[in-house]
Amino acid sequence: MSTLQIEDLYRSFGSLVVTQHVNLSIGAGERHVIIGPNGAGKTSLINQIGGQLRPGSGRILLDGVNIIGQAPEQVLRSGIARTFQKNNLFFNLSVIENLRLAVQARRGNGLQCFRPARSLTAIMSRAESILAQVKLDANGSRAVRELSYGEQRQLEVGLALAGDPKVLLLDEPTSGMSPAETAGMIELVRSLPRELTVVMIEHDMHVVFSLADRITVLYYGEVLATGTPQEIQDNERVREIYLGARH
Amino acid sequence: MDIYLAQLMNGLVYGMLLFLTAAGLSLIFGLMNVVSLAHGSFFMLGAYLAFAVVRETGNYWLALLISPCLTVLVGLVVERFFMRRLYRRGHLDQVLLTFGFTFVFFDAVRSIWGSDIRKLAPPVSLEGSIALVGGMFSTYRLFLLAFGALLALILWAVMEKSRLGAMVRAGVDDSQMAAGLGANIPALFSGVFGAGVALAAIGGVVAAPVLGLYPGMDGDILIPSFIVIVIGGMGSLRGAFVGTLLVGIADAFGKAYVPALSLFLIYLLMAVFLLVRPQGLFGIKGGVAPAGMVVAARAALSATLRVKVIAALVLLALACYPLLVPDYQRTLVSEIFVFAIFAMSLDLLLGYTGLPSFGHAGFFGLGAYTVIVLGALFGLNGWTGVLIAVPLTALAAALIGFFCVRTSGITFLMLTLAFSQLLYSIAFKWRDVTGGSDGIGIPDRPNIFGWSLSEPIVMYYVTFGFCLLCYVGLRRLIASPLGHAFIGIRENESRMRAIGYSTGLYKLLSFTIGGALAGLAGGLYALFNGFVSPEVLHWSASGDILIMVMLGGAGTLLGPVLGSAIFLLMKNLVSSYNDHWMMIIGIIFIACVMFFPGGVWGILSSRIAGRKPDSPPRPGTTPAEGIASGDKAPTGAAPGASMTVDGAAR
Repeated sequence: MSTLQIEDLYRSFGSLVVTQHVNLSIGAGERHVIIGPNGAGKTSLINQIGGQLRPGSGRILLDGVNIIGQAPEQVLRSGIARTFQKNNLFFNLSVIENLRLAVQARRGNGLQCFRPARSLTAIMSRAESILAQVKLDANGSRAVRELSYGEQRQLEVGLALAGDPKVLLLDEPTSGMSPAETAGMIELVRSLPRELTVVMIEHDMHVVFSLADRITVLYYGEVLATGTPQEIQDNERVREIYLGARH
Repeated sequence: MDIYLAQLMNGLVYGMLLFLTAAGLSLIFGLMNVVSLAHGSFFMLGAYLAFAVVRETGNYWLALLISPCLTVLVGLVVERFFMRRLYRRGHLDQVLLTFGFTFVFFDAVRSIWGSDIRKLAPPVSLEGSIALVGGMFSTYRLFLLAFGALLALILWAVMEKSRLGAMVRAGVDDSQMAAGLGANIPALFSGVFGAGVALAAIGGVVAAPVLGLYPGMDGDILIPSFIVIVIGGMGSLRGAFVGTLLVGIADAFGKAYVPALSLFLIYLLMAVFLLVRPQGLFGIKGGVAPAGMVVAARAALSATLRVKVIAALVLLALACYPLLVPDYQRTLVSEIFVFAIFAMSLDLLLGYTGLPSFGHAGFFGLGAYTVIVLGALFGLNGWTGVLIAVPLTALAAALIGFFCVRTSGITFLMLTLAFSQLLYSIAFKWRDVTGGSDGIGIPDRPNIFGWSLSEPIVMYYVTFGFCLLCYVGLRRLIASPLGHAFIGIRENESRMRAIGYSTGLYKLLSFTIGGALAGLAGGLYALFNGFVSPEVLHWSASGDILIMVMLGGAGTLLGPVLGSAIFLLMKNLVSSYNDHWMMIIGIIFIACVMFFPGGVWGILSSRIAGRKPDSPPRPGTTPAEGIASGDKAPTGAAPGASMTVDGAAR
């Protein structure tokens, strides 16, 4: 059984259809990359999986359980964590505070109010290990707004990882990054536990082909093709419509 | 004459007057995302200027022409020279700015025309009545209906059919997009603000013969207009129109058939609409109206030796103070302690959770009334009263919060305001229990360990103790995981949800805790004052406490304490020398919003910490803006600037 299964998803804004006939089946531990030209409905798709956007119809199954219609916080608790295309962080808090907020939510300590947050060592050490995982250990006490853009992108991933997800959704994790930072992000995604399922939107073809087990091409809200990187490269229609238009 | 018809007529007339204010308010909100709390003031100003013109010339029609023009001039000054300077800041700052102006205009009107109710006669040509289907109708009221309908029609035509209207509508949807299409946004803002002011002023002029003129008529039109907008939907002209008719008719029939409940009826209407359609009937901008939070995340003040010494000295001084001064000053400082608790409780909502409540006095008043009413009617001991008041207020806050936390930003502000006015109207109307506008008192104060609270020195130490207790308790709360979750919501609610927080529940918790603490402050106030009247839960009382928090510095705990001390000391000082206390506090508040957004404590704390008093870093109003400001963050932003007051981050 696939970990994340999407069945006949549909969503429109008035007359503009952003998602239709979308069927995807993503297995456990798969690195699945979604590509497509601007306006293909990639982020709309992620928003529907993450609960930020309510789908019109269809089903989204996580380990066989339909999670459609769940609010973002319920989706997270079900086991799907996401990052955002535009950095969406707690900019005025320190890096470690950002992570600790996310860890304490997952561990159910959010409502605790009689002990100082910093005395909860289990949460603190988990936050610190994520800090190391996303290679921000040197910046833990800095305010997020002081970080470089690329470092903020790393924290985006860290905040999602703090939710201990089964499925990680990455919305263009390398957008706006320098080549060196992009290489770091590839490293980071490669270092993730192999059993974690990763669904990723990406524009940078180098990143796509470095990481993808399988690729889905979206075009005007519909799935144009799904397959291994080799299959996608060989697909006539993809070359014609997508790669052809690009190069 | 058919009684239904007469009521219907009354409702329509009142609805039409409401429409003129609500339409402008709604347009301004739709385009600029600002709720102009001064909108009622322009209504009042229009009425009074017309009164002045009529007294000079005796010509009503001339007044209908001149008064709106003058009022628009005043409005444009406010927009151009004050609000525009704050465009780059959060919308809430602009709302607070307009609130400062309500003080200034109120005081100006009162000192020029006096506090008495004035009357403006309708023009001679419109005196008398006309016989129409089934009854006699006042000619002036018929004129009012026709005039209002004509204005509504013109407004509709301009909005729907003209190029200008298209630009405004585009701006309501997306001002950046409108700018891209070639709209001159600053001019558009000024124009729409001016047009809104003109509508309000015209409303004031035509309302004057029906409603009379008095300082305070500003609030009396503003609050129902809010309700209209909540019901009709933000930024929608059609919504404002339908909303006013609903509210006007509900109000008229309520007054005629269930006079005891007349005030509740429109609040009830609002609550029902919120449950069924939170975005209003024709809402363009739903309950997600963004309001930038004003609060700066301040640099952590590490508890250095220096800070500890200063804190110890201040505590010692406060403990010795009552031994050295006469009763009058003991009483004054006791009052400060009570209001400091109240201000801290609001800051939990406003400064830490990012919930801009404009109705917090409702809970303070509920606490105070509970203690006094139980004491006066049932002879219950004051302390028992407080013990009952706190959970009761918490319950009320949970109930009201249930409705309010479904919304955010400006909608939240208006809802809390409306709910506190509901409590106000209960206190005002339920004479048997609350004593109505006369208020109600208790014969004597309770004791503590054998000492009577009627002794100012005992009162001093009791309020001091409670204030200290609340400070320590809130400080612990803020440093706890729950407190950090509150701050997270203030900073970025959408991300909080994405990392697994049911933010609605957390906001409700914050609202309930804040409400309960305000109830405690109210209960103490009852013991302190021995008397309570509806003024304590009037919306201007909510405004006062908001001023104290902002003055001292929102998002800190000592700021509100300091703010309430400064506010009450100043009030005492100024009001004993001259009558223009409201004007002065209004101007100080405006200056504070414009130039010292971090409040007094923001300036002071940086000095104590031994840093240069740079302007405190301000969070972006949206994540996107946050990126931009993050890139350009001033180097003065202290390293490790992080959560809360006391270096909890370390």
